[in-house]
Amino acid sequence: MICRRFFLSLAASLLALSPLPALAADIKHELGTTKVPDAPQRVVVLEFSFVDALAALAVVPVGIADDNKRENIIPEYAAVFGESWQSVGTRKTPSLEVIASLQPDLIIADKTRHEAAYDTLSQIAPTIVLDSLGGDYHDAVDQMSVIGAALGQPAKAAQRVAEHKEKMAGYDREINKASKGVSAQFGVANAKGLWLHSPVSYNGSLLKMFGFSSNMTPSEGEVYETTYVPTTLEQLSVVNPDILILGKYVDPAFTDGWAGETLYEGLTAVKNNNVFYVTAHNWSRLRGLLAAELTAQDLLEIISETSAKK
Amino acid sequence: MTSEGLARNSGGGIFLPLLFLACCVSAYASLSTGGRSDVGIWGLFEDGGTGAAVMQDIRAPRTLVALCLGVNLGLAGLILQAITRNALASPAILGINQGAALGLALGLVFPALGAVLDLKALSIAGAFLAGLISFGIAGGFGGRLDSLRLVLGGVAVGAFAYALVRFTFTLEDDVARQVLRWTVGNITDVRMNEVRSIAGWSAGGLIATALLAHRLNLMALGEAQATGLGADPRFTLLAGAIVAACLTGTAVAVAGPIAFTGLVVPHICRLLLGSDHRLLVPATALAGAALMMTADAASKWLTAPIETPVGVVVALIGAPYFLYQTLFARGLD
Amino acid sequence: MRQPVLFAFLVVGLTFSAIWSLSAGAVPISWQVIANTLFDLEGPKQEFIVLKSRLPRTFLAMLTGGSLALSGAIVQALLRNPLASPKIIGINSGAALGVCLMVLILPGISLAWLPVAAVVGGIVAALVIYLGADLRGASPVRLALVGIAVGFVFDAGVDFILVTSSDAQFSAPLIWLTGSLWARGWTHLNLVWPWLAALAVLAMLLSYWLDLIRLGETAATGLGLRVRVARLILLSIAVLLAALSVSVVGVLGFVGLMAPHIARTLVGGSHKVMMPCAMLVGMWLVVLADAAGRAIAPPVEVSAGVLTAMLGAPFFVYVMIRAGRAARV
Repeated sequence: MICRRFFLSLAASLLALSPLPALAADIKHELGTTKVPDAPQRVVVLEFSFVDALAALAVVPVGIADDNKRENIIPEYAAVFGESWQSVGTRKTPSLEVIASLQPDLIIADKTRHEAAYDTLSQIAPTIVLDSLGGDYHDAVDQMSVIGAALGQPAKAAQRVAEHKEKMAGYDREINKASKGVSAQFGVANAKGLWLHSPVSYNGSLLKMFGFSSNMTPSEGEVYETTYVPTTLEQLSVVNPDILILGKYVDPAFTDGWAGETLYEGLTAVKNNNVFYVTAHNWSRLRGLLAAELTAQDLLEIISETSAKK
Repeated sequence: MTSEGLARNSGGGIFLPLLFLACCVSAYASLSTGGRSDVGIWGLFEDGGTGAAVMQDIRAPRTLVALCLGVNLGLAGLILQAITRNALASPAILGINQGAALGLALGLVFPALGAVLDLKALSIAGAFLAGLISFGIAGGFGGRLDSLRLVLGGVAVGAFAYALVRFTFTLEDDVARQVLRWTVGNITDVRMNEVRSIAGWSAGGLIATALLAHRLNLMALGEAQATGLGADPRFTLLAGAIVAACLTGTAVAVAGPIAFTGLVVPHICRLLLGSDHRLLVPATALAGAALMMTADAASKWLTAPIETPVGVVVALIGAPYFLYQTLFARGLD
Repeated sequence: MRQPVLFAFLVVGLTFSAIWSLSAGAVPISWQVIANTLFDLEGPKQEFIVLKSRLPRTFLAMLTGGSLALSGAIVQALLRNPLASPKIIGINSGAALGVCLMVLILPGISLAWLPVAAVVGGIVAALVIYLGADLRGASPVRLALVGIAVGFVFDAGVDFILVTSSDAQFSAPLIWLTGSLWARGWTHLNLVWPWLAALAVLAMLLSYWLDLIRLGETAATGLGLRVRVARLILLSIAVLLAALSVSVVGVLGFVGLMAPHIARTLVGGSHKVMMPCAMLVGMWLVVLADAAGRAIAPPVEVSAGVLTAMLGAPFFVYVMIRAGRAARV
């Protein structure tokens, strides 16, 4: 009985919180159209770029697929969210039970990862599916408007995107001074290999936007279809970028073993001391407005160091 | 075995030089392919410059490692098939690949374990354990392998290892990528250090196998006859197993698991040269080296600009051959 | 009679496991709430978790566990080898290659087609194996060896596709194949249960054929059985049972190996009794594996296929050693 009264009062207080009547909006997404309640309050996000979008709109999610590491939500996001959110497990197989227990009114999922679970997720709450993993920087910016509409804050989203574009334009002016005719390449290294992020990847598209060229062109005029390309030292010597930006998942990483080898020391970037190390997590896993701004700040720093050397 | 008919032309007079020629051609192919199209074999003899750096630091060690791997795996297969008198005995069928993958996956999923032993040691331990278990299951320690039990044992050990390996795919992307890269034989990034660590074993293994060749011939006659001719089969069995284990172990340590070389190469050599192990030992070493160096060349151009790990290339050649063998070899039923 | 007691024990055990399965998971739910939800009583409920997730998963676990056990029993009888399993007729590798090829050739295709690709791949592999072995006289040993070899060929293809296309598009289909019931619900259950139920009934009805075949080919023919046709039909049933199971839950290794074994130890080799018993054991195994996988390390789910393999591998070694000893004596 006590239990029942508790739940009744909980329900009453929830009703009081949500604006009545809840107007529904139809949101178009990768897997169809979903009716989303107006201004959802309890949002669960299953990919880091959606975390970024919510942070940009100052909406605190109730659940995040953080790969079971709370520190994956970097201080820039945590400053907005506080500690009230709950982990729902890995991005690949988030716990549907935990998601359900959070009683969300909106779930934002990724097309590549969660397509198979879309039906089940939809049974828990209205679910929208966006292409985060397969998309580049411009896709991530475009998705802001979808997420903004789903959260009932289209105007705020548009405003944030405008602010972001202005900010990026500012960075762009600075970076463009140094990026003309300069090639830059980003890659991540773990204990077993180096993966370069190709021009069609998220980071590749960012570097391109800032005016850097890429030497990553496969022979015979083909285009890279894959986003992450496993690369040997010999192949890296062909790409031979002016600036090499590396994210290391482990220390020492695979690429550290190349130090001292003639071919590695002969790379333009290595010869001119233009190899820079950035946080692999921030560059490789995070996508979105705030993440792009962090990347731009890293690039500014890299540019200032290269120009200081000249 | 179809040795009766082939024993007649077992002179080997033509085939050994031919195999040597094949070895040279595949070495040339392996040396002249790679990520840079502007570098050719002449780089070996240059002094300084990109061509010299690529050839001397990267391609030459890689070709040499492929050569040693071919020698090691081919001889290990030859010995195992001789001492067990079973045409299917070889490192791959014993579930060694998946065992190595299991050791590695455990190290990545439980970082505590990875801290005690490094990943390489874990994968070698996994490979050995898997090999020992399936060898034991098949009755290998009794000296007589049952084909079906051997293969079923290997499959079960492999299925167990793969369950855990596939589980890592549900975890983080980077873990999945590492597991995938470790579990297929890969010599993309070997240097002179690796050559030094395997070449001695290959040379020693070759000499040891050559010394055992006569005893392996006697084993083929059956244990009773071997004893009658003054060779203790238990000694042959023990020595052979140790040599085969060392050859396989050093190969796994350098390149990770590579399947089917140990199965295919001794077979083809027996088809060409008959069943005299004094000829088969050098022939297997040459043919194994040729196969691996060809596979190395193929691994570089097959899916350029991305490389295919050499272990996958060998599996693409070896698995159909194994299928062919199960379909057409006599004496399996 | 010992058998009725044994079956009663199995059914009761299975029921208790199924009930435990409803309470196991990342979110602790009291029995009170579970009962409320199940029987639509007054009071707090957990609609999604109990009714839409755990309940269909428990049913799906029973369905696939039972199917794999029956498939394993048939394969073991036909190959006259207690160490055989549905994997030997190529189901797992075939399904994996089918799924990988689908994603490779038709990127962007809806994952709703994934089970279809898995079933087609499994059946193609089984066909290749059967035709290949039949061509060479289809002795049980040959069939097993050819099956394993075809498995190797398909696995090599899967490895090739996986290492050369490093894109994340393969990560989701791969999770499917790890033998996990993650995100499975009524839709998946509804998709396969009529087929699997029909096949299971058919397998039970035809189980006496297996007893005849066990007597040897000549004896079976003498008793009026057309052995070749019977073998083909039974093999097709085994292939379909396993392929359909794999298509919805992925590779649950060793269930098809363990269940018939345990059943044979419990009730003896007569298939009429052994098959239902194996089915119950298989159901029990998978229900427990799925529930334990949810309970071990929440919120991460350990795939049921990992747990069945953990259990199955030592079991297999034990059986091998025992069979070896029996052969020597």
